[in-house]
Parts: sequence; C-alpha cells; structure tokens
Amino acid sequence: MEDVLDEIVSSEDLQKFERVFHEQLHQGNVSHKAQFEYAWCLVRSKYPTDIRKGILLLKELFNSHPEGKRDYLFYLAIGNARIKEYNKALHYVKSFLEIEPANQQVLALERQINKRMEKEGLIGMAVAGGAVLALGGLVGLGIALASKK
Amino acid sequence: MSRCDFKIVLLGSEHVGKTSLVLRFVNCRFNAEIPYQNTVGAAFCAKAMRSKEKDYSIGIWDTAGSERYEAMTRIYYRGAHAAIICYEPSSHESWTRLRHWLHELRTVEDSCKVYLCGTKKDLLDGGFVKREVAEEIVNTYSQDLNGHFLTSSKTGENVDELFQKIVDDLAADVEVMKTVTESRLLLTELDKRKSKKDVCAC
Repeated sequence: MEDVLDEIVSSEDLQKFERVFHEQLHQGNVSHKAQFEYAWCLVRSKYPTDIRKGILLLKELFNSHPEGKRDYLFYLAIGNARIKEYNKALHYVKSFLEIEPANQQVLALERQINKRMEKEGLIGMAVAGGAVLALGGLVGLGIALASKK
Repeated sequence: MSRCDFKIVLLGSEHVGKTSLVLRFVNCRFNAEIPYQNTVGAAFCAKAMRSKEKDYSIGIWDTAGSERYEAMTRIYYRGAHAAIICYEPSSHESWTRLRHWLHELRTVEDSCKVYLCGTKKDLLDGGFVKREVAEEIVNTYSQDLNGHFLTSSKTGENVDELFQKIVDDLAADVEVMKTVTESRLLLTELDKRKSKKDVCAC
C-alpha cells in the first residue's frame, strides 16, 4: 500500500520549486517558504543525493526559523527514513513527539519506520543466509570433486 | 503507481475538521481527548469499499488547511477523481476559502467530481454555534456540483453517506471506470513480471 514514505515528487514539481529557490538565492534573499517548498520536494525525490540536499536545507531552516519547527522535524524524519537512516529518522520522530506527544501523523510515521526496519532486517538475514548456503554448496562441490579423483 | 482505484482529496481551510472526518470514516471513531493538531503537509489513508456488489479500494489524501501549505496542496489534488471541500457553517471565512478551492479545481482539474461538506453539524444542532453561511447560498453553489452533505464527525452523522455517494458516483462513471480497469490490468501485469523475476533470482 502506498504511504508517505513511498510518495515520489514529479520532476516538473521539483524543477518548479527549484527555480523559485534559485532565483531567490541569486538575489541573495531566500524566504523560508521557498526553501521549505524546495526541500519538501527534494526529500520526496527518488535520488538519495537530492534527499541529502533536502535534509541539509531542512536542518538549516530548523536552526533559523523556530515557528516552522514541527514541519521541519516531520520532513527531516521522512528524508532520513527514505535514505534508510532509520535511527536518525526515529530521533526526529522522538523530538517531534516531545512537542506533540499524541500526534497521529507522527505516530503513524514511527510505525512505518519500525516496520521497514523489521522488514529490511529480515531481508538482510535472508541474504546472509543465502550466501551461507551458496558457500556450503561450493564446499560440497569441492569435496565431491576431490573425492571423485 | 497507486494501488487504489479511486483517489479522493480533502480540501478546506484549517480547523474545519478534515482530519476528524477522515478518522471518523476510516476508524469509525472520534477522539475528543486529542487536542487540535495541524496536519503537516498531507496524510494518506486507504479503505476498502463496496458499490453494487463490487469491491473498490479508495485512497484519501487529507491535506493541510494552513495557507502556508497552499502550493503543496495543489500537488495533491492533481489527478484526483473526487474532491471533498469542507467548510464550517458557522465560519464565513471557511466558506470564502471553499470558494477559492472550488474555483481552482474547476480551472485546473475540471473532470474531478466535487462534493461540499459542512462540518460540525452537532455543534450547529446543539445551538453551540451560530450559522454564518446561509443554506440558500450553499444550495445555489452545490447545484452544479456532485453533492452537498452536512456531517458530524463526532456523532458520525452523514459521514458514511458522503463517502458512499462518492464511490457510487465514481463506480457508475464510464470514463473513470475505464481508467480504473486499465490501471488494474497494468498492475497485475507488473506484479506478474516482478514475481517471475523473483523466481529467476533464486
């Protein structure tokens, strides 16, 4: 099922907000709004380099614009979860919950992150398990060949 | 790609109760204990529904009402099959905002079905608030639209009826159903290919 972590920004949207951001950057005066909208597109990109850039922009906003704190924390959590930095993502989730302990959106995000960690943990084990089997197969083949001689 | 047959988006000014409406509909409950929380960006929910003995999955995008998010909200109504625009009958300001969304949808997404939803009916019925938006005005506006419902997320009144009407309307729409059938076929095809690949990898 699709969820906030799977949502991908369209390239037209990314370009649109990128243009506004760069225009303002060129004039030497970037508004919080332009930077946030651009960062919000970047963290929903399919490319990790974009996501990392978005995270940097959000961190800068978080430090300079306290009024938007909860928005920045939310998307910092999403960005980090999307590049599989799950522990960092959970750290931002916790900071958000310190401000609003019952926030349903953030509690749902926390569940999604935990689910992914669990799923990928299992996949990791399955890959390791597969490697052991393959190795076992090779050794077995070696033994079989050796004993044939 | 979306696995939902129908995409529904909720619009409206902040604090009218869009999230409460979705939560009432999806979870069948209303929690008065939880203090008001501004939605961040947009939240997604899915639910399975039936119309004329057929099953459909619907995806609901609950958008943030705060004007700060307006540019972002536009991205969520794109490609929506139906939009629910919410207002509070006791707030003239929310009605002005509704007209703004209505105008925008009509110019950008003209094939999207539009439903108006007046919220917090229980407060109105109980006499706790005064109506600021006259019924005649609402009726005039909703004539050209697909429907108007006055709901209460607290009691649940008219909530299921609203969503059922939307699903019935969409399921009866030949054009919409054509795209739904196409995307269902495409998804099954993609899944088949994917599972074949998985077999090869082992």
